[in-house]
Amino acid sequence: MNMNPRILSLAAALVALLPVFAADIPDRPEKLSFPPLTFEPPSAAQHRVPLKAGPVAYVVPDRTLPLVNLSILVRTGNYLDPQGREGVAEFTGYLLTRGGTKSKTAEELEERLAFLAAGLGSGVGDDQGSVNLNLLSKDLPEGLAILREVLTAPRFQQDKLELYRQQSLQGMKQRNDDSTAIEGREKEMLAYGTNFWACRYTTQKSVASITADDLRAFHQRWFHPANFVVAVSGDFDRADMVAKLEALFADWPSKGEVPPPVPTDIAMAEPGVYMVDKDVNQGRVSVLLPGVHRDDPDMPAVMVMNDILGGGGFTSRIMNRVRSDEGLAYGAGSAFPAGVHYPLAFQAGFASKSGTVAYATSIVLEEMNRISSAPVSDQELDTAKRSFIDTFPENFNTKGKVAGLFAREEFTGRYAKKPDHFATWRGRIEAVTKEDVQRVARKHLHPEKAVILIVGQKEEILKGNTSHPVELKQLASGRLTELPLRDPLTMEPMPKEKAEK
Amino acid sequence: MKRHLLLPLALVAAALPAFAQQIPVVEKMLPNGFKLLLVERHEEPRIAGGWVAHVGSANERPGITGIAHLFEHMMFKGTPTLGTKDAKRDLEIIAEQEHIRDGMRAEEARMRDAWRRGELEDVSRPESKTERWKELEADFKKLIDEQRGLLVKNEFDRIYTTAGASGMNAFTTEDMTGYFINVPANKLELWAWMESERLLRPVFREFYAERDVVFEERRMRTESTPLGKFAEQFNSMFWQAHPYHWPVIGWPSDIPAISKKQADEFYALYYQPQNITIILVGDFKADEAEAMVRRYFGRIPKGTQPAPDVGTLEPPQLAEKRMDAEAETNPQVDVLWHTVGFGHKDSYPLDVLQQLLSTRTGRLYKGLVLGREVATDTSAQQNSQKWGGAFDISGEAKDGKTPADVEAAIYEELEKLKAEPVPAEELQKVKNQFAAAEYRKLSANMPIFQQVLFNEGLGGWREVNEGGPKIQAVTAEDVQRVVKKYFTKENRAVATYNRKAGTGAKDEDPDLVGLSAEQKPVVRRIAESLKGETDAAKLKEAAGKMEAQAATGDPKKQQLQKLILKKVRQRIAELEKK
Repeated sequence: MNMNPRILSLAAALVALLPVFAADIPDRPEKLSFPPLTFEPPSAAQHRVPLKAGPVAYVVPDRTLPLVNLSILVRTGNYLDPQGREGVAEFTGYLLTRGGTKSKTAEELEERLAFLAAGLGSGVGDDQGSVNLNLLSKDLPEGLAILREVLTAPRFQQDKLELYRQQSLQGMKQRNDDSTAIEGREKEMLAYGTNFWACRYTTQKSVASITADDLRAFHQRWFHPANFVVAVSGDFDRADMVAKLEALFADWPSKGEVPPPVPTDIAMAEPGVYMVDKDVNQGRVSVLLPGVHRDDPDMPAVMVMNDILGGGGFTSRIMNRVRSDEGLAYGAGSAFPAGVHYPLAFQAGFASKSGTVAYATSIVLEEMNRISSAPVSDQELDTAKRSFIDTFPENFNTKGKVAGLFAREEFTGRYAKKPDHFATWRGRIEAVTKEDVQRVARKHLHPEKAVILIVGQKEEILKGNTSHPVELKQLASGRLTELPLRDPLTMEPMPKEKAEK
Repeated sequence: MKRHLLLPLALVAAALPAFAQQIPVVEKMLPNGFKLLLVERHEEPRIAGGWVAHVGSANERPGITGIAHLFEHMMFKGTPTLGTKDAKRDLEIIAEQEHIRDGMRAEEARMRDAWRRGELEDVSRPESKTERWKELEADFKKLIDEQRGLLVKNEFDRIYTTAGASGMNAFTTEDMTGYFINVPANKLELWAWMESERLLRPVFREFYAERDVVFEERRMRTESTPLGKFAEQFNSMFWQAHPYHWPVIGWPSDIPAISKKQADEFYALYYQPQNITIILVGDFKADEAEAMVRRYFGRIPKGTQPAPDVGTLEPPQLAEKRMDAEAETNPQVDVLWHTVGFGHKDSYPLDVLQQLLSTRTGRLYKGLVLGREVATDTSAQQNSQKWGGAFDISGEAKDGKTPADVEAAIYEELEKLKAEPVPAEELQKVKNQFAAAEYRKLSANMPIFQQVLFNEGLGGWREVNEGGPKIQAVTAEDVQRVVKKYFTKENRAVATYNRKAGTGAKDEDPDLVGLSAEQKPVVRRIAESLKGETDAAKLKEAAGKMEAQAATGDPKKQQLQKLILKKVRQRIAELEKK
């Protein structure tokens, strides 16, 4: 970089002249004033259509682009897999749209959709299934005919099942390769218990046992209009689309069942530090505590509190201290996810080089204490509230998002209980006080009860760093437990010798 | 980068609605050299705003690799009035810190000397530091503590957040550095104030803590992921002379050595108005937004000399390059060919080729996953960068197959494309996919903003509207021609990955790869029984017999026999060691 020093000095001279021609520009942004901006969220009722054929649909026309996007949410999930049969739900979800139909082989179906540049996909996750169709509006009649056949008469072609079984098995083999994957898995097990349904994983054995008949049975049982909620947006006339949806779901050939409620028997591990030894030069840390349910009346206060603690990115305390002050991590923060069926765990986390893992962990715990023991500042409270309230319109910035958001409200049952959720949401955030913030922090943040998971080079991490002597063991309750890696094909804990070979 | 937007040609006119859209970009030039691009869009009461500096890691040189990206981080640290309670003392502290750092750098030069003589193993370790360095570091920390008392932490971010802005971020590539945010439609003036202030008079405070943050980012993305460090080495092997050779994040020796002075120089050279394009997409009136931008950004003085181009051209590659890695991953292969950069006439047929090879109805999936059953997954990508380009094909081997099997099958698919033009129906299928993708990218302000920004950063925003028709004009002969031209042995680099021993599932002995399902348990049983055998002489006798048999045996069984022999010899070696 052959820098000419004259450039620098010239630039400096010009900067000195600036106030002369920019005198009317204020030196601080608070001195600017802005025109008012009002935003009213769209109303769910306006788009809600209870179809005679069964499902509730949210129908949102949008003529700006020649596209249609249709999503079906399905009341089903991995939680319905019996023990030892893990994978049936997932395989059914994946192969529903990829395994052919009564009249078309999988190859014919995929080739036709590809020619139309249409996207058709499906999947079953923990507590819901989904089927999505995105296509040019000119192809809508053909796309809906295909969708009807996929939903009512899927083929679950044997060779596609074998291929997915093979892909799934090879995916399993990578389970211990990335420290992020190990962390994600062990975190769930510590937070909810190894016996909880969401902590059961597919194994070589469970996947080997899956047959096409299993998939057909699973599909017939749960994929039924009574279990569907529909979101559709794009280039169509509303009445015309409603008629098309009625036809799509009419005269269903099978009688399904309503699934049982999602089990909620979670159990967090004993407080303490848990370590998984993994040879990577950056330790990954998760601090866990019991969390909150979505319908908890304290939810707005919890959201504001967490935003100040570690949820708000660069305006949050954990980020400021762990990253900006100390340079100990690239990302650092916390989350209080809102559980729909059961309280989802609080988690704070970061990744730091082995030597500074303990020190950075101590900072996170310190901040958890601080927000419980002293009120936050007015400015912090204001920043957190504004960041929720003034970004609110982004939830509705496309018609696809509007339809999807309302469908999800319907699906999770909140629309039935609280139809004014969005209309009143900003007011509830605005009402949160400093006292509320401290109160919910005291209620939920107990560093001494924390479950701390660390994935990284155990020995290096335990050595710590001479300039910041912190003993890991003392951080939580004084307990330190080593968690073995799990055999990727059985998910059984592996004795250490074997893991190291 | 994919190309964007479509003017329907006769070929697809029937397949597509007549109102295929262009992105209506208004281009303006400011007297001081800024280019301004405006896209009015009133679907949401917000504005996606930002700017792209035409500088990336390709503008660096050895010794300061990573500076473009580190610099991106520094642009969030504030101005004289944002980020500190006492601007005067803040600047004094920064100057004193630099003075101490000069002394530390002199010590670091000594440590590197010692490393060259073999007296230190690793200059980055705490025990490698000299006494003088430690003293200076203690002085430095005192200044940090004093500065912390004056800092208003991350004020730049707080002001935006309090104003209802979201998604503030930035990125650095080899070719460009982009900065962006989403603001409520009534806060356009705040955006203009904030962005012009940080361009006009940035203060690079907390420089050395941020350098550590960037090193953690390197550990996170490159060093502690299964393939990150190997991908870095492979890329570096592929680009021999061109600055794409070094990683955007920077070499590990360079990040901790970059000085604030170098960052200052970098700013002065590459962040001049002539080297920056400002972009706004969203709910505003173009003439009002233009006036606002002129008023605020017009304050920034024009630079006196243009930022230099990247001059080095990649010389033609003369021979195939290969890298064989053992990593914590399933066996796979990654092949790169030198192709062309952004806007090159051959980039359009190469984009079409990418799509022909990709997706579950593409040639690689059909040929390798479904047909030959050698792979479980494949991918293909033409990467058109500013100063050059590469085509990347990769595939994961199916259990029992090897990276070599996948590699051979990839070449077979390419040979078919050289021999036979692509059938019309297949070509039309991928063109339909490009056409539809043009619409799908227009869903909201931010994706539109990103397309304009990327294209501008790579060479010119007009490509967002001109690229689509060029894709639609590609013929089967064009595709055949580019496959023949670029996909040669001497023009490629190949990385093969095999699973590192001891990192797999229990039964995943790497020796077993390539054996049939019937053969694997045979070897496992033999290996297990060998453990109980303690008579080395007896084993040697058996090994001799097996060698004789192998020479005359069925070639299909030879791999199995060789492997059993290997296991026997390993056991003999173990016994003899004892």
